[in-house]
Amino acid sequence: MMRRYFVTAMAAHLRTGGSLYLLTILGVALGVAAVLSIQIINRNAIAAFAGSVKAVSGEAALSVLGYTPSFPEDLYPRVLSTPGVQAAWPLWRAAVALSGRDDGMLDLIGVDFFTPVDIPWQGEPGDPAAALSQPGWVALTPLLAEQMGWRVGDAFTVSRGSRLVRLTVGALVDFHALNPLASPKLAVMDIAQAQSLFGDAGAIHQIDIKLAAGADTAAMRTRLQEHLGPAVRVVTPEQREAQAKGLLSAFQLNLTALSLISLFVGVFLVYSSTQAALVRRREEFGLLRSLGATRRQVFALIITEVGLLGGLGAALGLPLGYGVAQANVRVVSATLSNLYLLEEIARLEMTTWLYALGIVIGVGGAVVGALLPALDMARRDTRALLSAFTLHETVGSLALRLFALGVALPLTAAVWYGLHGRHWQHAGFVLAVVLLFTLPLLTPLLVRELCARIRVRGFGLGYSLKGLGVRLQTTSVAVASLAVAVSMLIGITLMIGSFRQTLSVWIGTSIQADVYIAPASWRGTGSDGGLEPHVMATATSHPAVQAVDRLRRFHGYTGGRRISISGVEMDLAPGRSRFPFLPGALPNPYGAMRERRGVFVGETLARKAGVWVGDTLPIHTPIGVQRFPIAAVYYDYSAGDGAAAMDLRTMTQAFGPGPVSSTALYLRPGTDVAAVVEELQAALPDAPLEIRSNRRLREEVLAIFDQTFAITRLLQFMSLLIAVCGIALMLLVLAREQVSELALCRSLGARGRQLFGVFVGKGLSMGVMGLALGSVGGVLLAGLLIYVINRAYFGWTIQPYVDWGLIAQQAATILGAAVLASLYPALRARQTSAVALSRDDL
Amino acid sequence: MKRAAIALLILAVLNPAAANDWKRAQPDYAWSFPRDHWAHAGYKTEWWYFTGHLQAEDGRRFGYQFTFFRVGVLPAAPHTDSAWTARDLIMGHAAVSDLDRNDHRFSEVIYRAIPLLGGFGAWSQRASEASLPLIAWSRAPAGTPGKWRLAWNGSGFDFDMRDDAQALSFSLSTRPGKPLIFQGPNGFSRKTQSGSGASLYYSFTRLQTSGQLSLDGQTWQVSGESWMDKEFFTSVLSPHQLGWDWFSLQLDDRREVMLFLLRREDGIIDFASGTVVHPDGSTTYLDGSAFTVTSQARWQSPHTEGVYPSRWRLTIPREQLDLEIVVEMADQENRSRLIGTLHYWEGAVRLLQNRLPVGKGYVELTGYGTSSRPAL
Repeated sequence: MMRRYFVTAMAAHLRTGGSLYLLTILGVALGVAAVLSIQIINRNAIAAFAGSVKAVSGEAALSVLGYTPSFPEDLYPRVLSTPGVQAAWPLWRAAVALSGRDDGMLDLIGVDFFTPVDIPWQGEPGDPAAALSQPGWVALTPLLAEQMGWRVGDAFTVSRGSRLVRLTVGALVDFHALNPLASPKLAVMDIAQAQSLFGDAGAIHQIDIKLAAGADTAAMRTRLQEHLGPAVRVVTPEQREAQAKGLLSAFQLNLTALSLISLFVGVFLVYSSTQAALVRRREEFGLLRSLGATRRQVFALIITEVGLLGGLGAALGLPLGYGVAQANVRVVSATLSNLYLLEEIARLEMTTWLYALGIVIGVGGAVVGALLPALDMARRDTRALLSAFTLHETVGSLALRLFALGVALPLTAAVWYGLHGRHWQHAGFVLAVVLLFTLPLLTPLLVRELCARIRVRGFGLGYSLKGLGVRLQTTSVAVASLAVAVSMLIGITLMIGSFRQTLSVWIGTSIQADVYIAPASWRGTGSDGGLEPHVMATATSHPAVQAVDRLRRFHGYTGGRRISISGVEMDLAPGRSRFPFLPGALPNPYGAMRERRGVFVGETLARKAGVWVGDTLPIHTPIGVQRFPIAAVYYDYSAGDGAAAMDLRTMTQAFGPGPVSSTALYLRPGTDVAAVVEELQAALPDAPLEIRSNRRLREEVLAIFDQTFAITRLLQFMSLLIAVCGIALMLLVLAREQVSELALCRSLGARGRQLFGVFVGKGLSMGVMGLALGSVGGVLLAGLLIYVINRAYFGWTIQPYVDWGLIAQQAATILGAAVLASLYPALRARQTSAVALSRDDL
Repeated sequence: MKRAAIALLILAVLNPAAANDWKRAQPDYAWSFPRDHWAHAGYKTEWWYFTGHLQAEDGRRFGYQFTFFRVGVLPAAPHTDSAWTARDLIMGHAAVSDLDRNDHRFSEVIYRAIPLLGGFGAWSQRASEASLPLIAWSRAPAGTPGKWRLAWNGSGFDFDMRDDAQALSFSLSTRPGKPLIFQGPNGFSRKTQSGSGASLYYSFTRLQTSGQLSLDGQTWQVSGESWMDKEFFTSVLSPHQLGWDWFSLQLDDRREVMLFLLRREDGIIDFASGTVVHPDGSTTYLDGSAFTVTSQARWQSPHTEGVYPSRWRLTIPREQLDLEIVVEMADQENRSRLIGTLHYWEGAVRLLQNRLPVGKGYVELTGYGTSSRPAL
């Protein structure tokens, strides 16, 4: 009986109250889309890494990886002779840059084709003699070949460091057949050719191991580790994936948190729309109750209906989320490979888990949003439902209690943080959540008090505001949801602005040389290729060069953390310091660095590893862990686990000789930098180098920064969009609910234009109130982000900075959006005629 | 070896395109020993093949096989600056048939011939007998420490292998019981009627053998007689030849017989040849018309479904030989774990004449139960 009623009633309501339902669905859809898009990207980032690991090392139970970029090939026979090993194969790997393509990188793998490595040839592998003897023979994925328009036999050029290598497509190798998420940029060539062409004789990067049946993986790991010594680590594929996850966790957690704010705002929207719908239908529920329906049945009816709307929202949110993810995957993927040196996301895959997540948050969010109004409606007795409604008064009397709660909650949180929370990494998020819950709690009283103080002198803005105070339950929710969205907008804008400004100041200290030369392959996954001696000689012999700063950099390990280790030659540029130190450095840090084998440690690493000046930093070197005294901690804004720097000579002693990764040239005062850059480019015409002036490098660093936060801006926008929908919804509700009031106004002589003005005024007022509250929340949120969350997750010190122009622009946008959102409800209100005044109302 | 290596290995060996760059077996090859016991770069394929019957002090009987193959991939090493630069692969096969326990074990290795993993020594005139380089060596199979080695001991060969996963190892030393003989005039062994396919081929048909053999942790001092074949060539099989039946027989009257029969895809014998070695070491070469081999029983491998002959009647009228060749054990099939499609039967046999034992031998059967030709 109830089921039939449910279907008939729902259809009827959809026909008559379409816009309300539409907004509910839209709110849910946007919330679902925001959360889902981030989850799709997050999951696929890990899946891309895992996919490539599986495609290359699919059969391997263990992999041997270096603590330094490469390790000696002599370890391979040692692996082979370890009992319990069924098969093992060496891999030489490098990220090489495709010449003539700014973003083109190839993950080149040198393999021994005569080991049991599983290579998914597409068609015939071709002439094996050619693979071994034809210089540059390489097998590409069909996808890449198609993208580039290459066929077997075509040649192309790649670079690693300053070395250019010509490769020829010898065969196709379909890694997607092994794993659909494998990077299409995997390419395979003979290991001897790879080592020889790229100047890497004696070095390999990985040994994959298949274990004998019944061998215990953990025991084998220990045995191999003991057998192979301290230069390498033996890891399972799961450990490799976990490491990638760990690397990305902070980045992903922050994006997830931001997307959840959108959902939070969406839940508010559902709350107000449900409430509005229920208010309109109170007589219907009263009638149902008087006909014998139980409270539970009424509650179930409402929740099912909202759940269904949530389902519809989710159905809309799923493709929308996928679309948003698809539109942003390139930029996020670029960030991941820029900052975290991981595989690019080649394609997005929707897993069952993601579908389920979309449905759960859609339906769940809608149900949560509708819970309070539904409970309220079910609790009322028949008489109350059928008589004039007193809902707003209820909230009015609750306002003070909510406000008290809104004061007590952050105070309690602050005390908790002071006593315990600050030692816990995730405490910042708890505080942020408390802040976002506090705003809605404070809103009703603030709105009521503000509106109460308004004296209505005419049919203008004062009248609009007064009306808002009366309809507190609806108004305060709309204002609160806008306030939450504005908090996020302003908080994050302030944080990003501060960060950008800090970074710009930091760049001023760190990027001091006039010209920077780095290989094109450096832009990829931090390739260990370097500048060849002839390149260095040409660059440094330019007559305008006064001093040269050589940098050798690679990824190494301190404990389980992968860090960037730089070897620098600091004594050539007198009076200049590339490292902006935090207070507390040793008196002569450069002296300590040079003479006492000291290291400078980036702030990120210092905070994460809990080390400071006076401590030593243990670093894995080819002969085992060596400890380096920390001479200073410097401001560092790298992602991941951070960085450390040492004198180039110390680095050579500890790690053996290696190529210079990049170089910085200090020119004689008064030199035309742009001209020198051009001359160097002319002197090294074919070298795959990025020769940049100081200015260009600074610009590029900031461009990468902006790219990193592009997705954040999108989430801000989505959250704001939901909040604006909330305003529109709330005004629509008012337009409906106040039909009699509006009709009365009309009958008393008010013109339609005036009613229109009243409604726009209401929208604007809510915009102003949301903006005011949200600004306070935003400043507090920015504080949390800058001082608590960023420090805990990334270890960055950010100096607060306010870009007033930008803030004003955003404020205007918010108000403009509020006005826009009120236009349609205002039009509806304008159309109200005096005839709508019913006898009951009189 | 999976798809990659199977494909590459087969192509490496059979790729006719590059055959022109390789040396071909010629009838007037200038032999020089001991130099020619070592590898012959420039020929595409070369093998050192030892088979034999051993007996432990407690009477337990074993058949064994030990082979090193040189698989030429490139006629000359490319000029690359890498320790992985290789022109050859080294492949090792070793098997033991525990004849009293009906247990056959097979072990194998395949590596690039590079200093890290294995390779072939080069004979040096200046080196003293004691410091002669190894003829061939390789790392033991993955999971087993140590190396497989083949060395010249001044008169015969020493070789050893170990495979812990198969719980198998042996270390054997051989001395010739009869002098070296050529298979074919001047060691030129035709494999086709036209002579386009041929190898350079010599044998030690009786090598007194002693050493140690371990199986499942138990070690025996063993002794017995072995047969050694050495062949090098660039092309032996013609395109329509699928495989071969090869016999090395040691008769109790101190004669030895080597026979091979190359089969076409339809099972018809395409080419056959043989050698009889007389007690004084002199040889008689046999063409296909001088002997008949008739299969009298078959055995189907439960693992590969290959159907192999398992009993033969051999007649060589000129030598008044009418022999029954009976396998000592049915399942002496070598199944490669590294090259999925590679399997062949290599096993100990006994010889009967008028139902009386008259000798022993080894038989190799390739190209059964597979549509593709053997990798080697």
